[in-house]
Amino acid sequence: MPEVVVSIGPQHPALKEPVNFKVIADGEKIVRLELDLSYNHRGIEKAAEQRNFIRVLPLLERVCGICSHSHATVFSKGIEEIMGLSIPPRAQYIRTIIAELERMHSHLLWLGVAAHVIGFNTLFMWTWRDREAVQDTLEEMSGNRVHYGMNEIGGVRRDLTPAQVEAALARLPVLEERIKKYVEMVNSEETMLIRFRDVGKMSREEALKYGAVGPTARASGVDYDVRRDDPYLAYAEVPWNVITDTHGDVYGRTRVRVGELWESTQIVRYCLENLPAGPIRVDAPKTAPKGEILSRYEAPRGELAHFIRTNGTDKVERVDIRTPTLANWTSVAVCLVNQNIADIPVIVAAIDPCLSCTSRLTVVNRVDKVGR
Amino acid sequence: MTDPVFILLYIFIFPGFFFLISYGLFLAYLDRKIAARMQQRVGPPICQPLADLIKMLGKEVINPNGVDWRVFDAIPLIALAAVMTAFLYVPVLGYSPLAFQGDLVVVLYLMALPTIALFVLGWLSRNIFSAIGGIRAVTQLFIYEVPFFLALLTPAIMAGSWSISEIVVWQQHNLWIIFFQPIGFIVALIGLQAKLERTPFDIPEAETEIVAGPWTELTGRRLALMDLATDVSLVVGSALIAALFLGGPMLPWVLAPFWLNSIAGFALFLVKTLAVLLILSSIKVATGRIRIDQLNDIGWKYIASAAVVQVGIVLVINYLWVVP
Amino acid sequence: MSVLREMLENFLSRPITILYPKEKIPIPDAFRGRVAITDDKCIGCSKCSLVCPAQVITMIDGPREVEFKGKTLARKKRPQVKLYKCIRCALCERHCPTGAIYLKNELSSSGTDGEVVIT
Repeated sequence: MPEVVVSIGPQHPALKEPVNFKVIADGEKIVRLELDLSYNHRGIEKAAEQRNFIRVLPLLERVCGICSHSHATVFSKGIEEIMGLSIPPRAQYIRTIIAELERMHSHLLWLGVAAHVIGFNTLFMWTWRDREAVQDTLEEMSGNRVHYGMNEIGGVRRDLTPAQVEAALARLPVLEERIKKYVEMVNSEETMLIRFRDVGKMSREEALKYGAVGPTARASGVDYDVRRDDPYLAYAEVPWNVITDTHGDVYGRTRVRVGELWESTQIVRYCLENLPAGPIRVDAPKTAPKGEILSRYEAPRGELAHFIRTNGTDKVERVDIRTPTLANWTSVAVCLVNQNIADIPVIVAAIDPCLSCTSRLTVVNRVDKVGR
Repeated sequence: MTDPVFILLYIFIFPGFFFLISYGLFLAYLDRKIAARMQQRVGPPICQPLADLIKMLGKEVINPNGVDWRVFDAIPLIALAAVMTAFLYVPVLGYSPLAFQGDLVVVLYLMALPTIALFVLGWLSRNIFSAIGGIRAVTQLFIYEVPFFLALLTPAIMAGSWSISEIVVWQQHNLWIIFFQPIGFIVALIGLQAKLERTPFDIPEAETEIVAGPWTELTGRRLALMDLATDVSLVVGSALIAALFLGGPMLPWVLAPFWLNSIAGFALFLVKTLAVLLILSSIKVATGRIRIDQLNDIGWKYIASAAVVQVGIVLVINYLWVVP
Repeated sequence: MSVLREMLENFLSRPITILYPKEKIPIPDAFRGRVAITDDKCIGCSKCSLVCPAQVITMIDGPREVEFKGKTLARKKRPQVKLYKCIRCALCERHCPTGAIYLKNELSSSGTDGEVVIT
């Protein structure tokens, strides 16, 4: 059979967001992959340069719908470092709680999506049902299910009342039990093993070479987690483990994520039980001194980096957002070669792509008048 | 029995086309409802499949560029006609009035037609997803059809007749065939699941991979008819398995008035098809989709050999125990 | 096999879906919903309109005498919120010195009607 070009996207049922793959396939085997990102450039970085530090945070939360807290936290963390502020421990703990709840809801969502792409809709329904518990907790704490709005420069905006802590702790055992079940299912359910094992294999060397981050890299045995290696928030004080796996395939990535789900519940439990007393914020100055910083954060999908340059005003001069999905794309292109066409959605979904967050760059070809 | 009015009524009203379509839509509803409840969802209201059908019939029909629209119009009709014809030979109330020696083979042939129609559809669509889906559909057909045929022909070997109705009568006098052929029953269920392209065998229409496979370019009434053909195949398939393995619509004894016997037979038919549907829905809910190469492995290695083993067992039974 | 067991458990239990218009779940107290303004407390400081990320709060004329920290102020302006553009970030609530503008725990859709204003 001659090589055929299967064009997937920007509109395709497997992709929730716009991206275009030109898959060059020989029968059912993939020979090559051409990627076309940036269908969804939103100009958030430029918009962020025009808003002061109070007004920029709600904007940055909207970089991504799933990791909204990550973007707000990594930015405020960077600005606070430039300003030389130290955040009260209670604020650190509250940020950690929200961050880990966010990781839980992101990973549960991912598990559902991964099950959905292999047609296992039952697990999809179940994980999304259990995700509701996490979302409800987040809603009770922050007042919203998606954009929590908990961060501000200098601390958090809302305090956790004892009643909220109680309610969250009451929900945790149910979640823990469910997550234990998912760990068991992922390791024993034949229908998932058959589709996830040996699919999209990536060795440790390849993962390092192509700059994979987050669960994708950890599944290939790269023992790297910003939360441990460059501790921020309360992670240095909380006992937890970095989950790694040696399989390197989609199965390994699933195992890493369900493992992290469990760790997240334990971090949330520890933080809720050992929530320090004290103020939740310090007064931050309106302006930041001149400076540059690369602020890093372990978002659910991997290492998220904000490069921030300030110039002594109440606005940033430049903020550059490197989302984890962007770092993982090259690894996808490598993983896909020699795989089955049927495995494209599985491998793509395995990095948990968030495409709109990734669309940072617009190249305008002035001669041909086409934007890319 | 040969009254032409009776035959017409049988074909068009009950248990022919009218009943078949309503029951097909009901089974489609029930299938979705069972799946929903197993996933702790609410599921669709009872008229949803009918509403979908009517809505789809009223929608605009879009002809893709460069596609022969006559063939596109004809294919869903052929598929629907084939499976509806197949149903006439499956006993519903008792002995089918149209039964003849060898109707089992005709039914199996007619049930294979929708898949062929899908392949042609995918091939004609001039769409890469449809083409891949069509190729997958026909590849899958070659994999599951052999074990499915073997599994459904073993009851015929056992009963010594190639007529479904006579196999049912044989089971009336002896035991249900499922007791002799549990392996064949399982293989037949798997084959039926694959034939109906339900998870884990929805490879040709894998939504997340190739959009809707051969169905991609279907719109309006074509889509409605093709959907209806699938629903009807579900009825025919489950009725066939109920008839061949579960004793069909006949009681082991004869009730006094003829009509009471028919009603009892009809009730048995409903119960047995619903039982088959419950198993099929459970398989659908409990599994994810497998890949075509994996299906190839599993199909030829395990399912086909299981079917062959079943045939061997039946031959041995027949040899040892001369059927009266 | 754990899947089969759970399928059966689910099949025998009630669906978890909340049929929204008929059943409602209680909205948590902390929920950020519709903006509300207590005009008595507003001192017309314009802080809310300055911090609003969506810039939906404009200051309109509203001269009035208000009590603030024991003193009586003569305010000139009062805020007006265009609800349809509000992103419910609650920054106005956070920065309001008197608690005059706040978000109720009441569901309200964003809507498309540009005329819906809260004053």
